[in-house]
Amino acid sequence: MIDGRDHLDDELAAYALGSLDASERADVETHIASCSACKARLAEYQTVASVLPLGLEPVAPPPEAWTRIVVATRARRRRPSQWLAAAKWPAIAALFALVIFWNVALERELSRRSPGPAPGPDVEALSRRPGRVIILAGTGAPASSARIFAAVDGGGHLAVSGLTTLPRDRAYQLWFVRSGAPATSGAIFIVGRSGRAWVKVTTPASLDDVRNIVVTEGPASGSPAPTGRELLVARPWP
Amino acid sequence: MVAASSSRPHRGTDGEEPSDLDLIREMRLGAEAALEALYRRYGGLVYTLALRIVGDPELAREVLQDTFLSTWEGREAYDPSRGRVPWWLMGIARNRAIDLLRSRSHQARLRERHDGPSPSNPAASPLAGAPSEVALRAVVRQALALLSIPQRQAVELAYYGGLTQSEIAQQLGEPLGTVKSRTREAMERLRRLLAPLMDPKRTERERD
Repeated sequence: MIDGRDHLDDELAAYALGSLDASERADVETHIASCSACKARLAEYQTVASVLPLGLEPVAPPPEAWTRIVVATRARRRRPSQWLAAAKWPAIAALFALVIFWNVALERELSRRSPGPAPGPDVEALSRRPGRVIILAGTGAPASSARIFAAVDGGGHLAVSGLTTLPRDRAYQLWFVRSGAPATSGAIFIVGRSGRAWVKVTTPASLDDVRNIVVTEGPASGSPAPTGRELLVARPWP
Repeated sequence: MVAASSSRPHRGTDGEEPSDLDLIREMRLGAEAALEALYRRYGGLVYTLALRIVGDPELAREVLQDTFLSTWEGREAYDPSRGRVPWWLMGIARNRAIDLLRSRSHQARLRERHDGPSPSNPAASPLAGAPSEVALRAVVRQALALLSIPQRQAVELAYYGGLTQSEIAQQLGEPLGTVKSRTREAMERLRRLLAPLMDPKRTERERD
C-alpha cells in the first residue's frame, strides 16, 4: 500500500501526530518494522510532536488536582491485592505502557467500526474512574487478546479482539474464578465479523479472592459455571 | 529496559535537582515524593496541553489526574530509550484528552454550554518554569511561528483536534493528498528547526 518514499513520509508525519486511522497506522507499523531509516525519522517526528505543547501559553493547574492524585494513589496502595502485586510482574509491567496506547487505539476503532453497541456515556464515565487494567492472553485462541478495566469502586468493561464469530446459539462468557467460592459470570457476549467486542463487566464485590479470569465459549443463554476450553486467561501473579 | 536503567546507578549532582530518570527510579522504589517532584516539574505542561485539547478546565483536570496516576502505575514500564520522560507524559495526556474529546458525552456537554469552552483560567498565573524550560518554550514558539498559517493549522487540527488526515481534508474541503503533504512539510520544517532536541539520549546524559 505504501510504495513511494514521499508517500511514506506523509504517513510518518501524520502518524507521529496521531492523525491516521487504524489501517493506515498498521501500514506504517508494518513498514517501519523492516525500514530503519523510516523508523528513525518517525522517532524524530514523534519528538517534534511531543514538544508542541511547549508552544502553548502555560496555564497553572487547579491546586486540588495534586491532592486528588495523592488520594487516588494512596487508595490503591491501601488495598494491596494480587492485582496490584501484578504490576511488579515484569511481563505485565512491560505491557502497561503499550496498553495505554493500544487501549486508546482500540477504543477509537471500536467506536467507529464496531457493529455492536457503541460505547455509551456510562462506559466513558467508567473508564475515567480510578481502577486497574488486567490483560488476558489468548491461550486457547492464540489470535485473541483482551483487557479488562476494573474500577476501584466496582464495575468495569472488557475490550476483546481476535475472537471468531459464533453460531447463533453460542456465546462467549467471562468468568471470575475464585478460590473457595463458585466462579461468577462477568459478561456474556458475542463478536461481530471484526472479531471484537466491548462490553460492560459485572465484577465480584472483591477481587481479592479472584484466582483467575477466563473467557470460555458456551450456550448463548450463558452457563452456570465455566465449561469447555479456556480461550483467554489472565494470570497476573507469578 | 529496567536492567538498562539499574545498571546506571543513581548519581546525584551536588546542589542540582534530580534528573527525570532519577525521579522515575525513586518512584520505582515507592517514593511518592518523587511523583510530586515530577508533578511540580510537568503538571503545568500536562494541564496546559489537556486544556488546549478538551477546552474545559474540569475535564482538563481529570486528564491531568489520570496522566499522573498512569505515570505512577506505569513507572516500571517506562523505557528511557523510547524518549524522554516529559514526552512520555505528553503522550499519555494527549491520548487521554483526545479520547475524552471524541467521546459523545463530552461533545454533548460542550454543546450544552452556550458560552462555549473557556480555555483560560484568569485566576491562574502563568508558570515561571526553569530557565531551560523558558528557553525551550521560546525555541518551540519561534519554530511554530515560522510555519505558514495552513501548515500550522494542519498540525493543530491533527495534534490538538485529534482529527485524522481524512477528517481534516473533509473539514477544510481540500483534497486528502494536499492535507497530507502539507502536514509532512510542516513536520519536516519543525524537525529541522528543532533538530537540537532530537537526540534524547544525549540530552539525558547532559542532564546527569
